[in-house]
Amino acid sequence: MTISLIKPSNRVAPAPKPLMSRDCGPAGCEVDWLTSRRHEADGDIEAFTDFSLKMGWGDGLPLVPPTDARVRAFLAQNDRYPDEVIAALPPTQVECTVEKIVINAVMAGAPPESLELLIAAVRAIAEPDFELYGVNATTAPVYPAFIVNGPIRDQLNIPYSYGCTGGAATKATAIGRALRLIMRNVAGQVPGVTSQTTFGSPGRIGGLLIGEWEERSPWAPLAERRGVSGNAVTSFGTMGTMNILDTTSQAASDFLEMIGKSLAYVGANCFSPSMPFCEMMVAINPICAEIIAREIPRIEDVQERLWRFASVPADLLQKRHREQLEAQGRVRKDGRIYATPEPKDMVMFVAGGLGGLHALGLHSFGSSLTQTKPIASPIPADKAQAAE
Amino acid sequence: MARVMVLDPTATRTDDITSPGPDAGALAGKRIGFRLDNIWRSWDWISELWADKFRAAGARVSFWRCAGRSGEEGERMNRELKAFLETIDVAVVGLANCGSCTGWTIRDAITAANAGLPTTAIATKNFETFAHELAGRGGRSGLRVHVLPYPLNELARDEVMAIGEAHYQGVIETMGAHIAAKEAAE
Repeated sequence: MTISLIKPSNRVAPAPKPLMSRDCGPAGCEVDWLTSRRHEADGDIEAFTDFSLKMGWGDGLPLVPPTDARVRAFLAQNDRYPDEVIAALPPTQVECTVEKIVINAVMAGAPPESLELLIAAVRAIAEPDFELYGVNATTAPVYPAFIVNGPIRDQLNIPYSYGCTGGAATKATAIGRALRLIMRNVAGQVPGVTSQTTFGSPGRIGGLLIGEWEERSPWAPLAERRGVSGNAVTSFGTMGTMNILDTTSQAASDFLEMIGKSLAYVGANCFSPSMPFCEMMVAINPICAEIIAREIPRIEDVQERLWRFASVPADLLQKRHREQLEAQGRVRKDGRIYATPEPKDMVMFVAGGLGGLHALGLHSFGSSLTQTKPIASPIPADKAQAAE
Repeated sequence: MARVMVLDPTATRTDDITSPGPDAGALAGKRIGFRLDNIWRSWDWISELWADKFRAAGARVSFWRCAGRSGEEGERMNRELKAFLETIDVAVVGLANCGSCTGWTIRDAITAANAGLPTTAIATKNFETFAHELAGRGGRSGLRVHVLPYPLNELARDEVMAIGEAHYQGVIETMGAHIAAKEAAE
């Protein structure tokens, strides 16, 4: 056998489609566009949170009751019909409509301005190559991380500096949580029911939604390097966050060696025979990125350098483990096993506070491949109708 | 506190096939296909054992081993599975012995069942409920699932083979298969 290279397939998620006539516009219809079943509940947040747990809708944190008024108000600030099907989400392949996205967004407390980001994120995880079926079902703690590029980062106050992966007080947390509720309530990622995750992860509550600090990056924005300019979201199935501290290195190669070697631990999915390949996502802080780019200007060369260090000697593994990987052709001529098939599979971006010192490793689940989607420009419904 | 009406945030599929699908029937002359994976050596061992017994019952046996489910490889797997299903009369699909592999096992079993083949998924005890849950969510709650003990892959080969031996009659029943008296006696 030979190394399985990561090449995107030609499979694409089905195109979104409307279910009903569009004759009267999203805000001007007499008909009731909201088709979800109504339930009677207490309007009080504490009582509703208890109710949502009983109904299997919640994550344990307080939830905002998704009343007709709140859902309609959210929709009214956007130009989307509620019955528009955005994607079919496994394992059920049920259709995730704008209405379901909005209901979950309201419950999470996400702002109406985030709808197009939410839609792009759902489209990203619905792509066949994201392999949501495995991500939802697995015993692993994997969850989709989302990296946002473009001006929308600042419009939605999505953090890309201090505490960007957790702790920064912005509504990005609510947007991330909305995506988690969609995963739970539409895709059906429920621990012990449709997800066998052994330990889960804090990231399965609030999600992981961060920006790239493009202005401090010496390289082109991540999404642009992946073929999408401007506002875009990149989804990556991550096993969680790994911090890598380096208070000693000075040169680019030293930093990359430290980061690469830290990423390569034998219990990572990238060294498992159960996964044919893996990607790796790494965030470099702005200070470190500047130092690296001074010595190694091209991002491709940085990825290549990092890739060489993100490997382990095959004899580090126990015999039975090593034999399985050898049988799969994953031990290279130099006697090493590499975390990813090729340097391009080390997905890198710039984020983090200016204190420097730390890098962020996001290990991949394996079969789930990174997806990047453009974020449409939101057009308020009233302006859209005026244009009609 | 005031009562309000709230909108349901969940989405569920409404279609379901509750039938287990056709019985495998008499094995003599049938082409039985095993779906294997790259993870569970215990399933390799048990499928080899059962394959020998199916052959002794007059069936022909073939194997298909799945690999990655994303990228070009995933596309290739879908093509290979479709081609494999066209070459067999009965599908035995395993092994549901972890989260994602239960997902992939059930997904492939549903594909086989939807192709009209008598299909049995093989799960270990810990993943039995999960397998049925995913089958239901995949629109085939009646999918046949035969259950092996758990843990399984952690056992030595002779222990696994003893389990395979002990479960042969059970899997035959789950498949809705039967063996002619002459073959059964052998």
